[in-house]
Amino acid sequence: MIKRLSLLLLLVGLFLINPHCANVEQNQNIIKSVKVKEVPFKDVRSSIWKKAPVTRINVIPQNMTLPSLQTPTIQYINVRSLHNDNWIAFLLEWEDKTRDAVVDVNKFTDQVAVQLPLDPKSLPAFMMGNKGGRVHIIHWKAIWQDDIEKGYRDVQTLHPNYWVDLYFFSEPMIYAEGEFPLQPTTVDYFITPEALNYIPGAYARNPISIFHRTQPVEEAIAEGFGTFTTQPKQNAIGWGRWEKGVWKVIIAKQIVSDDPNDAPVPEKTYIAFAAWNGSDKNVGARKHYAPWVELVVER
Amino acid sequence: MSVTSWLTSKVKNWQIRREMGYPYEESRPEKQIAYVFDINKCIACQTCTVACKTTWTSGKGQEIMFWNNVETKPYGGYPIKWDLNILKSLDGQSWDKEGKYNGKTVFEAAPPGERVLGWLPEEEDYSYPNIGEDECAGIVEKGAFFSGIHKAWMFYLARICNHCTYPACLAACPRKAIYKRKEDGIVLIDQSRCRGYRECVRACPYKRTFFNLVTRISEKCIGCYPLIEKGEQPRCVQTCIGKIRLQGFLSKPDSPQKDNPLDFLVYVKKVALPLYPQFGLEPNVYYIPPIHVPKEFLYQMFGPGVDKAIETYKGAKDDKELLGAFLLFGSTDKIIRSFKVEGDYALGFNDKGEMIAKVPFKEPVYIRPYFDKKVGTYRHNIP
Repeated sequence: MIKRLSLLLLLVGLFLINPHCANVEQNQNIIKSVKVKEVPFKDVRSSIWKKAPVTRINVIPQNMTLPSLQTPTIQYINVRSLHNDNWIAFLLEWEDKTRDAVVDVNKFTDQVAVQLPLDPKSLPAFMMGNKGGRVHIIHWKAIWQDDIEKGYRDVQTLHPNYWVDLYFFSEPMIYAEGEFPLQPTTVDYFITPEALNYIPGAYARNPISIFHRTQPVEEAIAEGFGTFTTQPKQNAIGWGRWEKGVWKVIIAKQIVSDDPNDAPVPEKTYIAFAAWNGSDKNVGARKHYAPWVELVVER
Repeated sequence: MSVTSWLTSKVKNWQIRREMGYPYEESRPEKQIAYVFDINKCIACQTCTVACKTTWTSGKGQEIMFWNNVETKPYGGYPIKWDLNILKSLDGQSWDKEGKYNGKTVFEAAPPGERVLGWLPEEEDYSYPNIGEDECAGIVEKGAFFSGIHKAWMFYLARICNHCTYPACLAACPRKAIYKRKEDGIVLIDQSRCRGYRECVRACPYKRTFFNLVTRISEKCIGCYPLIEKGEQPRCVQTCIGKIRLQGFLSKPDSPQKDNPLDFLVYVKKVALPLYPQFGLEPNVYYIPPIHVPKEFLYQMFGPGVDKAIETYKGAKDDKELLGAFLLFGSTDKIIRSFKVEGDYALGFNDKGEMIAKVPFKEPVYIRPYFDKKVGTYRHNIP
């Protein structure tokens, strides 16, 4: 009897402390975007988000192309959406016991992405679109969030005792005559073309190698596996917080945009999701995904 | 998608003497960059390593990166256990009597969900590039004295990207950010296309693609292509003080040119062998195996051609043409496209047929008088 009572109390307790158990809309097929006066773009705790219903989106391991994800570690993403006629925003919440915002040879960052079709009336393949069927992807990474809030995540962020005798062409010079060499701990020492020659990704202007990001999200366009292409014009915004084993990430885009690579947001369209768990070495195609879900924008 | 269906093409791999599965069709370059390294001559001075490091990887984020390294076998390895890890997971690497490989390549042995059988090193695995340096495979017994060849052995293994005919890095990249140049077979990572998934780092069995912590994308040896395009050999070859290296271009395996020193050493004389041919990548750095190392170790490392290669190497003193090819190692910074032996000289020519190297079989000896009357001083003769 005592055992049964304990179990009941435990279940009730779990229900109370798990933020995902309350107010979850059972219908996984529709996400409703609620119109509000002000969208809290950077506040994941804002009570305004509660005006939007929660839709639980189950995600499954990517199994359509190689490499695939063999073992899932994320079960679902809880999605809320708000809009103010100009911007539409999504609050994505999922459980992740570890906050992974580092990068190393064998370390990966947590990530999440949303995807919308450029032509909702002719829906492309849900996994990154297809030839002629383009999709608009907005991709958030935990490490980009830290790049913005704490400064560029550098070698010394992960390995504080890394010491190098000489980096070429650093500016200002790290060797002042008669003084102990100064260790350049930030990428800001490397600004000249000569110095950037030794930082080839930055020299080639790779969108991954951006040292001064303004947003923790990247907008891209794709039409099939391996075609993820960063948009020339970046106008989406995002913000993320990890609290008590839960990621809460806001991704927002303009409803009407003059960017031809941006997906339109009519009253009814579709949205798909992907999520990566850094501690499980999720990266690229090693991801969790959810296919198209109907998105209704209440005017 | 299963691995079998992923390997859509059957390609010819001459090094394992059979066809094998690969995700792309056979597409050999017009000429293939290739190198011969004579392991017997390497002293691990690391001049090549430093030349490469200062030329290409002195930037922030490249701290642990050595596109060229020299490690001591049997215990050394950069990154640590790069070879042991893949050999352990690649079971049953047997060859038949005709030299055909019976086991699986890293493509054919890929586990479910993967494109290539591979593993991803830790950052720390790159932190000890000199681990095992100069350590012998055994100890010399107390009281032992030199009486020929030591039982305890070690050797230096200089390593760069193999610019493979069937690169695993290229096969593994889901974005097709890695490409093999048609004009010279150099394998490159497109620095504007890579997104840092590290599938190439995981897949390359030689661990010759590297992750840059600052740019967050991958990099690799570029074969010093700016030099190659000028008709010059790469930095690691030019600077080798032991003259153990020769870079050139290999013809297609079915049409070797005897006067091409690379073809001559690899296809005709078969004195230089690929590193771990059983992986299936058709690597294009060819090694003259060390003559003093137990054969079992060499069979595993260089395949079944070891006995013949060592026999040929030992007989070089009686083979003027072979000796002539060896003399051209380190004789010029230019790329030698053809060679011949004329009298007591080995001659090397560029692609226009111009002579760019002339090496005597015997260096002339000059003996100077002990006392130099002109300046009134004594001279010591030095080599």
